[in-house]
Amino acid sequence: MIISKYPCLVRDEIFQNMEISELLMLSFVSRNMKRLIKSSQKKRLENIRVIKYATDGMDNLCAFIPRKPYEDIIMRFEKPDETREPDFQLNVSGKTIDFRLCTRERNLPENDFHFYPVASVHRSDRESTLESIHKYFLDFFGNSTKYYWKKEFYKDLQCYVPTRLPNVSLCIGTYLHTPFTNIENLENFFSSSPILQLVQLTIFSSKRPFNPESKFYQAESIKIKYCDNMLPDVLNHFQGKQAFITCNECEILDLIMFVKRWKSGEAFRNLEYLKIELPPLDFNLVLVQNIIGVKYIEAKKQPPKHTLPRVFDWHDLGNTDPITSHSYVVRESDNRVASILIEERALSFGAWDKTEEEFLKMVD
Amino acid sequence: MSSTEQGTSSAAPAEPTTAPESAAAPEVPESFYYVHGKDKVVHKVSAGALQHSALIHGMISNLGYTEEQAKANPFPFENIDGDILQMVVDWCNQHKGKPTPPEDTNLPKQKEKLFDLVLAVNYLEIKELLTYCCKQVAMMVKGKSPEEIREIWMIPTDAEDEAAEKEAKKRAGKEAAGETAAAAGDAK
Repeated sequence: MIISKYPCLVRDEIFQNMEISELLMLSFVSRNMKRLIKSSQKKRLENIRVIKYATDGMDNLCAFIPRKPYEDIIMRFEKPDETREPDFQLNVSGKTIDFRLCTRERNLPENDFHFYPVASVHRSDRESTLESIHKYFLDFFGNSTKYYWKKEFYKDLQCYVPTRLPNVSLCIGTYLHTPFTNIENLENFFSSSPILQLVQLTIFSSKRPFNPESKFYQAESIKIKYCDNMLPDVLNHFQGKQAFITCNECEILDLIMFVKRWKSGEAFRNLEYLKIELPPLDFNLVLVQNIIGVKYIEAKKQPPKHTLPRVFDWHDLGNTDPITSHSYVVRESDNRVASILIEERALSFGAWDKTEEEFLKMVD
Repeated sequence: MSSTEQGTSSAAPAEPTTAPESAAAPEVPESFYYVHGKDKVVHKVSAGALQHSALIHGMISNLGYTEEQAKANPFPFENIDGDILQMVVDWCNQHKGKPTPPEDTNLPKQKEKLFDLVLAVNYLEIKELLTYCCKQVAMMVKGKSPEEIREIWMIPTDAEDEAAEKEAKKRAGKEAAGETAAAAGDAK
């Protein structure tokens, strides 16, 4: 069977019937085959928006394509098994790497199983092995794919995060215990990490706030829960797109200052969405809205619904919670609008990429 | 329902025998056509079964052949081996007027046969069968290492590809030089 003699249409149909991990394996056969797959399956590969590096249930690092209901593993990375010969070796971006076949190591039926290669990664050689494989992914999947390194619930600063992988953003979530209560350690960790896509902190207590220049504030998205004393600093220094905050303490003045600074255009230029879940606050809503300078859509009209995809969908939650509010504010510098909803225990703020005139056209 | 018999040529095919109908007889008499492959064995196939093939369906549309004319003019598919054409005809008959199932387990397991079947089915434009065949071809390399895939699908190595490319360039160069020389000779 000489596959290269098949007409394009037939080859395309065959490739279409192969999973991405199988196409990846096929691409290792020859440079020509890799070129053929890339051109034949261009659209399919371009549609892979995200590849996620994360540990699986067995604590092995895997490269996944996020899908529902299950994620597709395209490669797993494991410590070498010294008792066995590798199934095969490949030269990946100039580096020779040992591989095993997941089906064989577990005696799984090849026909019914989602098949993927397992790369042997020596601890001492971890960064360069991952670099070579990541470089191959960048070439194979193209430029439109985003890469996330997801690290959840890690306990110490020794946890491994790659620093030399291009185009990889870090998504990190943790309950903070010792030694992370040492804010300097945390600062250093963030500053040595790649681009921060999502930082999720829970139960954090520190007497010292983050440095205003901290990379933490530059994360695309932050999610913080019960982090005492952090709210005013976050509302002052956050430069990312989305923030989800649950706090025990809050001063209404902090919220007022946040909206005023957004309106003036001096801060939060990138902000798309902010939700703060608050403790019960005693305040006069009308007075607060007057101070902020809120504008209103007529009560009998239906305001537009603000919702957008989360920067990083940690638990497949989908879009941000919709904001449907008759209140809005306008940024003075560029006339952009944000819907604002102040409730007894929550503030929701959703910025539109629309001028006031465009925004009001969306009102029914 | 098909029939096969060794023919002598495409112009004078042998008298085919008709296999018994498996389904109830249609109310309107069905028209039949005749096809043969490289081995000249003629297969009698109903127009209904042939509808699976976009190529043949296009050929017979509005042809208005009588039974005798059809018999006298079988469609020759000289590029398809007889046993492969038989497989195709059988498949078309089995799936005549029926919705095609999501999978077909009766495809050949031998890779050479499957390879020939794919080419035939692609040529005859039988979309559903092509889909099954391509699935089967894809399944052949599931769970295999790159080296095993290379063997199964006979994929050249990088070195072989490079050598073939060099050879092709050399040949093209020679041909171009030959053409230039011929043109110069003509000019003289």
